[in-house]
Amino acid sequence: MDAATTASMLHTLQDPTGIPSHPLIFQVLMVFTWIPHILFVNISLGAALMGLYALTKRQDPHWQLFSEAMTKVAKVGVSLLIVLGVAPLLFTQTIYDPQWYASNVLSAAWVIGFIFTLTIGYLAWFTFYMKNHGGHAPVWAFWLGVLGLSMFLLDGFIMHVLAYQGLHPEQWLAWYTPGGKVDMSGTGIHAYELPRFGFFMAMSVTVFGAFLVAYGDYFKVRADRAPAYLAFARGLGTKIALTGAVLQLLFLLWWLMDVPAGIHIWSHPMTWLLLAYLGVLVAAMWLARNKAEGQGYRLMALSVGMAALVAIFREVLRMAYMSPFHYNILDYTVHWDVPSFALFLFTMIGVGGLMGGFIITLVYKAGRVQGAYQADAGVSKLGTGSLASTVIWVAAFLGVGIWIWLRNNG
Amino acid sequence: MNEMLGLYPQWYVPGIGTAWVMGIIGTIHVLASHTSVGAAWLFALLATKSVAENKPEIMVYLKRYGMFLLVFSYIIGSVTGPGIWYSVTVASPRGISGLIHNFVWLWASEWVFFFVEVIGVYAMVYLIGKIDNKTYLKLAWSFAVASWATMILIVPILSFMMWPGNDRWYHTGSTFDAAFNLNYFAHLGIRTAFMFAVAGAVGGIIAATMKDRETRIEITRFLSKMGLAGMFLMIVMFMWYTATLPPNARLIMDTQMMPKYGSTLAALLIATLIYFGLTAWKPLQLRQGFAIAMTFAIGLFGLWPEERSRESMRKPYVAGQYIYSNQFFSRDVPGKGVISDMPLIAEKGVLATDYFIPAELRTITPENQLRAGELLTRVMCANCHSLEPDGALRPLPALLGHSDEPKMIKAYLDGALYHGMIPYMPKMPLPDDERAAMALYIASLSAPQPPVIAANPAKPIQQGVN
Repeated sequence: MDAATTASMLHTLQDPTGIPSHPLIFQVLMVFTWIPHILFVNISLGAALMGLYALTKRQDPHWQLFSEAMTKVAKVGVSLLIVLGVAPLLFTQTIYDPQWYASNVLSAAWVIGFIFTLTIGYLAWFTFYMKNHGGHAPVWAFWLGVLGLSMFLLDGFIMHVLAYQGLHPEQWLAWYTPGGKVDMSGTGIHAYELPRFGFFMAMSVTVFGAFLVAYGDYFKVRADRAPAYLAFARGLGTKIALTGAVLQLLFLLWWLMDVPAGIHIWSHPMTWLLLAYLGVLVAAMWLARNKAEGQGYRLMALSVGMAALVAIFREVLRMAYMSPFHYNILDYTVHWDVPSFALFLFTMIGVGGLMGGFIITLVYKAGRVQGAYQADAGVSKLGTGSLASTVIWVAAFLGVGIWIWLRNNG
Repeated sequence: MNEMLGLYPQWYVPGIGTAWVMGIIGTIHVLASHTSVGAAWLFALLATKSVAENKPEIMVYLKRYGMFLLVFSYIIGSVTGPGIWYSVTVASPRGISGLIHNFVWLWASEWVFFFVEVIGVYAMVYLIGKIDNKTYLKLAWSFAVASWATMILIVPILSFMMWPGNDRWYHTGSTFDAAFNLNYFAHLGIRTAFMFAVAGAVGGIIAATMKDRETRIEITRFLSKMGLAGMFLMIVMFMWYTATLPPNARLIMDTQMMPKYGSTLAALLIATLIYFGLTAWKPLQLRQGFAIAMTFAIGLFGLWPEERSRESMRKPYVAGQYIYSNQFFSRDVPGKGVISDMPLIAEKGVLATDYFIPAELRTITPENQLRAGELLTRVMCANCHSLEPDGALRPLPALLGHSDEPKMIKAYLDGALYHGMIPYMPKMPLPDDERAAMALYIASLSAPQPPVIAANPAKPIQQGVN
């Protein structure tokens, strides 16, 4: 399909309903909600791989303990990455609806496969987690863990394909009608980009490594965690993080060389900023390798910064891919809907802030105490605020609802 | 009038259709998600009881089964939740797009609750006995209310799919006018009642294994009362719900759904009432296997018919009575700037205006008539009908009496469908040549031999017969 027709098609596919707030709001939310999602993807994949690897060396008590801990980290991490993935997906569908929907339908069988493989993978991992205690995990449980990790990797690849296919609208018709025959099976994987996928896998290595150092630091106040074990985790973490950062740099260079010349990606400042930041990250990981204690949160913060830059770079790249087709999210028709936007803001600040803040603070503080934790005044107030915010939210939403319902239907 | 249609490529699933794919994932999700919301309330109630009556053994059991009841149901619920979203994306992209562009801030608000729930679920399970009671109760009740809030936020979208219930939204385009539609509160009431009923059944899985006799009796009776209250509330809400349905849905419910599923649902209702009655009367007789069987029976014989019925009763629409199941816009929505697709397809047809049509099928010729007919039939019909004679999803050949006579089928396309006279079918004002091509293809599905027309281009179907 030529560029002019593709541009016209994209414009027609945009939902005529328009969007209820300025497109930049959705774009910013899309980019920044993707950051925690990808960080948990990275941590979960790293933890799953190392949890399995550690099990093969379980004769060493450190590796045994490490395997159990990482199995648990992956279990919690996967459930969090799923919920954290909902928001960026929602905002993507709001401003890049043609790209997402067309790409999904063209590989529909894989989209449905994603759900079932993720469910199977999670159940397999959950079972592995239940069995991996006290050094007695049976062999079959190990292989269930391998199955779980394999499914997670497959699902990551499917997500990569869906995102990448969306960047090539000029190809959609050709993929849908190969040889002039319409293919509605949805079984095709039409396009993928190995260096891009490899970059995100390498990112998992880096982020997981940094997480391990932070893990060692977090538990150092707990008397029931042996300092030698925590030092072991930190030492492992710095090696892994350094390896990941170097791999990321190499994959990024490959990825940049693979991007079509017409995109002019080398002339964009974000490209150089990301390259430079990765260089700094390599240096930071190198310097931390022999004195990791106390470095965990700093390395983790550096990784979060890297993920933020990657998120922005990813969006810059998408905009560049769409540029020849004159697809600009700013062209979207806006029908401002202030009440529903206000609802989101109040929910985010009130419920997200108070209840989310309460739970995270509670878990953080309770986790650092051996035995029962007695909430201090601050946490207690947060708890009261958490409960009050949810109850008030429900009352307000239903109250407004009853008023509107009576007005419209009475 | 638009110049081109905003249709996406299409996914076709032989035999069961995309509707069943959505239905299967939807049923699993509804069972898991309602169980999890109900379980959240159960946890809060039992934790309160444990603290108020100083019965730490209840907390022991909550911890023991929390991993299964809460984490498991939340995880399955949270995987299949996006699962429904994904399946609707590939089955009905324009439908889900319409919903997202109307309700994006409601969905985003739900996501906030969803996030605090998922971190909360781990806190609920891992912090039992690790934090003071007062703080734990604040956590448990925050969690229960937040869980219900996710239901409060998704039901506006589900009930809007049925219809807005009045004209206001079409002119204002307001999200809240769409959200608080006529069907909303009755629908929320049914789901809330169901949440307590299913939690009563699922809770039995915990209660049946309790060692302490008195606690077991007390909790089982507590669950039975909760289940019975849920069931009675559900009956009342169902009566209100039916009163808030659009005429097309009432018609389908009365003529198709009740004859098909009515007896199954009634039997399940009676069985569930007996189950809760028995467990209240003889709580020590409750066995874990029985509670598990009851939970699955509710899923299989209650939720599956309910999900299929709700999908059927919306016909011919998929959302807001402005998007047909086959993805065409049926009407203008001035409040949102949506323009009906009907004038465009009446004037130019689908083949000339859909971007995803191969070049050689843009114009119908005697040589490509059958292929064009097949493509058109899939675009226009396959969202709701299997094209295979023995397909599971309202098979088209069977519904047309296995007719292999193109003229007879075309008469149907020319009349009732062209003018939109059938309450549960979309209007299809296609040009004559496209109707002829569809008739030819649909007839070929029931023909014992390849149709003569396809083999002999000299005898194309007569056009303009209406």
